[in-house]
Amino acid sequence: MAGTTEAVAAGETGGLLDAAGPYSPPTRPRRRWWVAVVGYVVTVYVLVTFNFLIPRLLPGGPIDALMAFGSPTYVQDDHTRANLARYYKLDESMPRQYVHYLAGLSHGDLGVSIYNNVPVRRDLGGKIAWSFFLIVSATAVSALIGIPLGVHSGWKRGKPVDRSLLGFFLAYQNLPIFVVGATAFVVFAGKLGLFPYGGGSTPFNDYTGVARAVDLVRHVSLPALMMGLDAATYQYLVMRSSMVGELGSDYLLGGRAKGLAERRLKYRYAGRNALLPVVSIIGLQFSLAITSVIFIERIFSYPGLGNYMFEAVAVRDYPAMQGAFLVLTLTVVTVNLLVDLLYRRLDPRTAA
Amino acid sequence: MLALVVATGVLAPWLAPYRPRAITGLPYESPSGAHLLGTNDAGADILSRLIWGSRTTLVVAVSATALVLAVGLAVGLVAGLRGGIVDAVMMRLVDVVLGLPVLPLLIFIATLVGPSLRASVLVIGLFLWPQTARVVRSQTLSLRSRGFVGIARGFGGGTLYVIRRHLVPALGPVIAANMVFVAGLAVSIEAGLSFLGLGDPAAVSWGAELQRAVTSPLIQTGSLWLWWLVPFGLALTFAIFGCSLIGVALEPRFNPRWRR
Repeated sequence: MAGTTEAVAAGETGGLLDAAGPYSPPTRPRRRWWVAVVGYVVTVYVLVTFNFLIPRLLPGGPIDALMAFGSPTYVQDDHTRANLARYYKLDESMPRQYVHYLAGLSHGDLGVSIYNNVPVRRDLGGKIAWSFFLIVSATAVSALIGIPLGVHSGWKRGKPVDRSLLGFFLAYQNLPIFVVGATAFVVFAGKLGLFPYGGGSTPFNDYTGVARAVDLVRHVSLPALMMGLDAATYQYLVMRSSMVGELGSDYLLGGRAKGLAERRLKYRYAGRNALLPVVSIIGLQFSLAITSVIFIERIFSYPGLGNYMFEAVAVRDYPAMQGAFLVLTLTVVTVNLLVDLLYRRLDPRTAA
Repeated sequence: MLALVVATGVLAPWLAPYRPRAITGLPYESPSGAHLLGTNDAGADILSRLIWGSRTTLVVAVSATALVLAVGLAVGLVAGLRGGIVDAVMMRLVDVVLGLPVLPLLIFIATLVGPSLRASVLVIGLFLWPQTARVVRSQTLSLRSRGFVGIARGFGGGTLYVIRRHLVPALGPVIAANMVFVAGLAVSIEAGLSFLGLGDPAAVSWGAELQRAVTSPLIQTGSLWLWWLVPFGLALTFAIFGCSLIGVALEPRFNPRWRR
């Protein structure tokens, strides 16, 4: 039971963590690093091809989708449709289209939004910044909540504090983020008016400097808190059982004999030793963060990538949708690979 | 907890005071004797929608889980029994699917396919099978090397016979635990999708009703959220929590990692 993620899964946090779910620690088969890289390349290829194939395989095809009934660009005339198909090079054979698509993608060409006629890439840039800000804030919040509470709870193992914290987080784990998020939105932002009612900044403001920063923080605080709490549950559980694993260690006994303050032993010694699994978890939580960022941005109408994807869905702006999809998925896969590679360095046992 | 949800779903027509879509009062009525949880924006009885909603949840959970079970069992058994290159290819496939970011993909596909209950089930099944396949495979591997499978084969039992007679019963408990988790996940994914407006617009679903409540401009007035928003959130949590409690109870008995 030395504080590894393995011990977490088998430890007293219970089978909840063994669940096939967003909270389960990924099972990492022992394999060489290049296997991970090859797997990554295959995954990226699958995603990119998915993005190419799905609109083309579904009934209707991209032209019908682009010019769908009810969309602002609906076209009824067959002749115009044929011209458009030629314009978008959709009358070519599938393999040729595929080559064009890959070639465009390699230049970072994501197509042009048919709704506001701007290259999708330019639109996405700004959205990514917003989402990034939200995710970073949420990660900070979750670390500030999850880690200290985990340390404290593990230190006081079996005491009422530990029991109630553990119970709370185990129960909280089962609350879907959109339920908590929506309720918090209605209650804290709406009824109590403690937070701004959605958005990323005050519309039509001309704040600069400090005022602008304050405005941004005010808007990000509630969504980040909701996202952070969701991520904190897992960090708490990992930190707690990692901490419990350190409890009986000799160095603590030695420290006590030396007369070191309990506080110092708790945070400086045991807490520090127990931290490694949690640090690696924070990286692994990124794909979870993408899931929650979509829900949270939707609820709080935060101007990030997730919301952009839905605005695109609403107006059937397929290039924009695909662009957002591609950026979201590729980011997740890339971060997963980086964490995987980093993890090998931190913990030699996972490297074959 | 789960039993309660299941019972509500099955008995919906007898339990619910009204039809879920019937307009039985004015919009936004407060709770009263006639409408225990008031009425929603269309004037439909909220309690009835809550009760009927459990039926949708149940249908999705059961069918998605069945789908996951079928695919996961097939892939896991074949990979485990065959071994060699078949195993290697299948497990790489599992790795790739496990590495995919599920929610963006679900949204992408659900939008393109168009919202319907069947699409939700298919899409959920499509992404949840690898975990099951992995569990089944590792169990099959350990079972294969045990005596009784070899003996059955030695007596001339065919592969299908061995699977039906020996492997499936031995795998049963492990699969049961896994399935409960899958069901819980399916419930939350379906609710999430319909919360995002990608579920079946015709279905009465908890997630969709939550979304309706949150996007309603009047949710801020009075205590409307107390009887419109909160009950659906609680019902969902109830169902998901029920699943994971059963899973937790089953897991230690059957997970080989726990036998220390």
